[in-house]
Amino acid sequence: MINRKITILGPEGTNLTLLILFLFLNFISWLTLFTLSDGLTFDLQNSVFRQMTFSILAIILFFAITYISLDQINNYTYLFFGLVSLLLVLLFTTDPKEGVRRWFDLGLIDFQPSEYIKIALVLFISKSFSENFNKVYIGLISFIPIALVFFQPDLGTTTLLLAITLSMFLVSDIKTRTIFSIVLLGGVSFFGLLELGFINSYQLNRITSFFDSVDFAQSQSRLAISSGGFSGQFFEVEKINQIFIPVQSTDFIFSAYAYQFGFIGVIILFGLWAFFFYRVAKIIVSTQSDFEKFVLAGFSGSLIFQIFINISTVIGIIPVTGMPFPLLSLGGSSIVATAVIFGIINRIFIENNVVI
Amino acid sequence: MFFQQKFRLLSFLISVIFLGLIFNIYNLQIINREDAIESVNIQTLDTFYIASPRGEIYDTNNNKLASSSLEPHLFINLRKINDKNISKYEQYIKYNFTDLEDIFISDLFESKNLMVKVANITELSFDERQSLSSLDAFEIFDFPVRKYEYDNIASHIIGYLGEPSLEDIKSFPLAAYSNIVGKNGLERYYQKELAGNPTQIIFQGSEIKEIVNGSPGKDIISSLDIDLQIVATESLLQGMQLANERFESSNKIQKGAVVVLDIRTNEVLSLVSLPDYNPNNFVDGISNREFNELNITGAFNNYPIQGQYPPGSVFKVVAYWLAEQENLYPEGLSSRNGKIDCEGSLVFGFNDGSQQVYNDWKEEGHGRVNLSSSIKESCNVYFWDIALKIWRDYEGTTSESILQEYAKSLGFGELTNIDLPYETSGVVPDRNLFEDWAVSQPERVRAEGWLGGDLMNLIIGQGAITTTPIQVANAYRTLISGKLSKPYINLDQQDNKELLLEVNETFINFLLQDLNSVTNEGGTAHASFSILGNNVKDVGGKTGTAQNSGDKNNTSWFVGIDSISNPRYVIATVVEEGGSGSAIAAPVTRRIIQSLRGVNPTPVKFGEITE
Repeated sequence: MINRKITILGPEGTNLTLLILFLFLNFISWLTLFTLSDGLTFDLQNSVFRQMTFSILAIILFFAITYISLDQINNYTYLFFGLVSLLLVLLFTTDPKEGVRRWFDLGLIDFQPSEYIKIALVLFISKSFSENFNKVYIGLISFIPIALVFFQPDLGTTTLLLAITLSMFLVSDIKTRTIFSIVLLGGVSFFGLLELGFINSYQLNRITSFFDSVDFAQSQSRLAISSGGFSGQFFEVEKINQIFIPVQSTDFIFSAYAYQFGFIGVIILFGLWAFFFYRVAKIIVSTQSDFEKFVLAGFSGSLIFQIFINISTVIGIIPVTGMPFPLLSLGGSSIVATAVIFGIINRIFIENNVVI
Repeated sequence: MFFQQKFRLLSFLISVIFLGLIFNIYNLQIINREDAIESVNIQTLDTFYIASPRGEIYDTNNNKLASSSLEPHLFINLRKINDKNISKYEQYIKYNFTDLEDIFISDLFESKNLMVKVANITELSFDERQSLSSLDAFEIFDFPVRKYEYDNIASHIIGYLGEPSLEDIKSFPLAAYSNIVGKNGLERYYQKELAGNPTQIIFQGSEIKEIVNGSPGKDIISSLDIDLQIVATESLLQGMQLANERFESSNKIQKGAVVVLDIRTNEVLSLVSLPDYNPNNFVDGISNREFNELNITGAFNNYPIQGQYPPGSVFKVVAYWLAEQENLYPEGLSSRNGKIDCEGSLVFGFNDGSQQVYNDWKEEGHGRVNLSSSIKESCNVYFWDIALKIWRDYEGTTSESILQEYAKSLGFGELTNIDLPYETSGVVPDRNLFEDWAVSQPERVRAEGWLGGDLMNLIIGQGAITTTPIQVANAYRTLISGKLSKPYINLDQQDNKELLLEVNETFINFLLQDLNSVTNEGGTAHASFSILGNNVKDVGGKTGTAQNSGDKNNTSWFVGIDSISNPRYVIATVVEEGGSGSAIAAPVTRRIIQSLRGVNPTPVKFGEITE
């Protein structure tokens, strides 16, 4: 056990920068949702109040996770990975809702295991890499939950999981050439299976139909982002009219943020995230533990990819995929899952004696 | 091993990609801002939308069912109306359009829109139009007028139009602009395709600056045969009239449905729902009173896909299939030929010593019956014996719901996914459902839960089971063709999946023969079909008379097959509270079969009361 220099907030300590970033990003989400709502009322139907409730849950979870040491996380990784994979299998026994099997209906809330496989997969690959297991087996095992998610079907999460796996393999000592040949082979055989009809083509209809016509929500959201201008409409007295955008509080919330806070706001948001990733990168370079390096790289890859896909969708350069913006979009399971990621990262900071 | 160099390279690449994203946003927010703001202003403020002509709807023989024509309409540009000239325009409209009510006229000027539509001016002469357009605030634009060529016929398939509600706008955002949306039927299911893009009238201040023409919607060629639809509607009406004359019912018998499916493709040839409405009445808006009257009679329900009825004996075909497939016959029998003694009732004891008696509809019994004759004469006892066999062999095991599984593989309890809105799925009850209901709707189930008696009820299509007419037609189609797929109306279908079923030629032949025996001599529907003469040997069907709770009369069912030697069509007929299936639904179906076989349809005659 390392002796820590300072501990703030709780016996195991908390990295102050990380905590402030986390709180500030949550606050931005509340503010943006507030501009979209009719005001704040204290019931769970109100999107702002709903988000605040989940944020508070998330903060509690964030602190709770600081109590779990990395050794414990390392020890329970396989169990956690196996358990979440099992839940993914069990999903196939549930009744499909709107044609997909993604949630366990727990009455008050829906439980979505695919949010947690993002975390479990990163931990699993990190641990297997740090213990120098056969890379071929690691790749094959990682592919099991990815296939399970694909057949839910959930194309968005499948792409994310593939991106996570790919990014973690890329920073390992496997030859980049080997990885790209496998990706190429996988891609070719996937489209081969598609041609032969082994894979349901409607999962990809969204992609093909995109090239026929620009999606209504996307063209609307481009207009909204443009209306934001340099400094946004939030502080303007004579505002430019807001236009109708479907699902603006969830997948398209970035367009509302850019409309309200303009290019300056966008730079600030990018800056906050860039600062976060910079701090994480510094630890990746300095820490001695391979496990920690891979965990941090995997989580960063996951968050960066989500942000990238979300923004690309909202500004209309890729088809609509339904990926939320971490900590900005309305939605409980996404915040809770991101809080777990922040919690584990925080623990890594602390165990590396980085407290500010 | 973690590879530091590659990590640095990857981070650099990601930074470059994100700089690209920022550059893209910079372009949107700073460089191209002016264009976008212009579009926003157009969208939110200064554009008036006029709906484009909707796509037309045709039947399979190219008869036009719903047409669209552009007709000149008078509009007022409200931006040019002010306190000084408002009374002048009001007077002018009152004087020239005498049939408009005063309240309607004053409401026109209260509108928050840029323009409002006053009236259709097709009837006006050229000079009159000239004089109208000489007034500054009047504008004349072509406006599409929807016309339904066959009035009430097929009203539930085609649907009708109306102003979009908030809910509608959520589903069809573009409908908010043209202010018109399909409310039911194909008009709603294919709203996006039919509507096209509205024409934009762009204002600058109070002047019209630009007109951007929209594009008309896509036509739909449907599988419907309008001549058959007319015959089917007439037949059902005749059947209802007979039922009203012959039965003493506290309610007027006026609800019913007919479904005609093409066995080879599962195209819907005809889909009748009564009572119906005239979609033309909605084109200019309908009064609240008329709307409420239609609503009270149930005219807005599409009974073939929304009516949920216990199927009665038409459901026996499920057990028929199960018996053959699983080799599961009444205790002591080992094949379809084995016979039991039907004495008109079934008595069996429970563990606690009590006895329960189940009475067949025929008190004196059917005598010696096998699988075929129990279909022919609709003997309940034979099927109860099958239920008892299932219960005794499988109670409490995973195979307990084998009958329900067979029903579900024929599509019962699930949507058929026909291309019409608001379909309902009905219910196939089993132990799990009863346990769910015990919590959610305790008044529907007994405290004991799922019992053998429930299975006995289910096997003859009684008890908690409900089905829609299209499910029943689809189930027979599925058995005869060996393929489960969705029925459809729009002929332009992509990605129509077919699920192959485990049925072989021998079974299909047996089934067709046994369905034929129902209409043949000695069968429950013979009285209704004897008018076909020799052809009676080539048609088939199954009667059903489903009991309802309360004082509601029985639901009358018949499922018919147009030909045994070359089966092309399956017809399902339901008359709500129509009594015996063999007396009412059977002759209605017979008349439709006559039409399908190219024979002149003879009037619906009251059949024989069985069941």
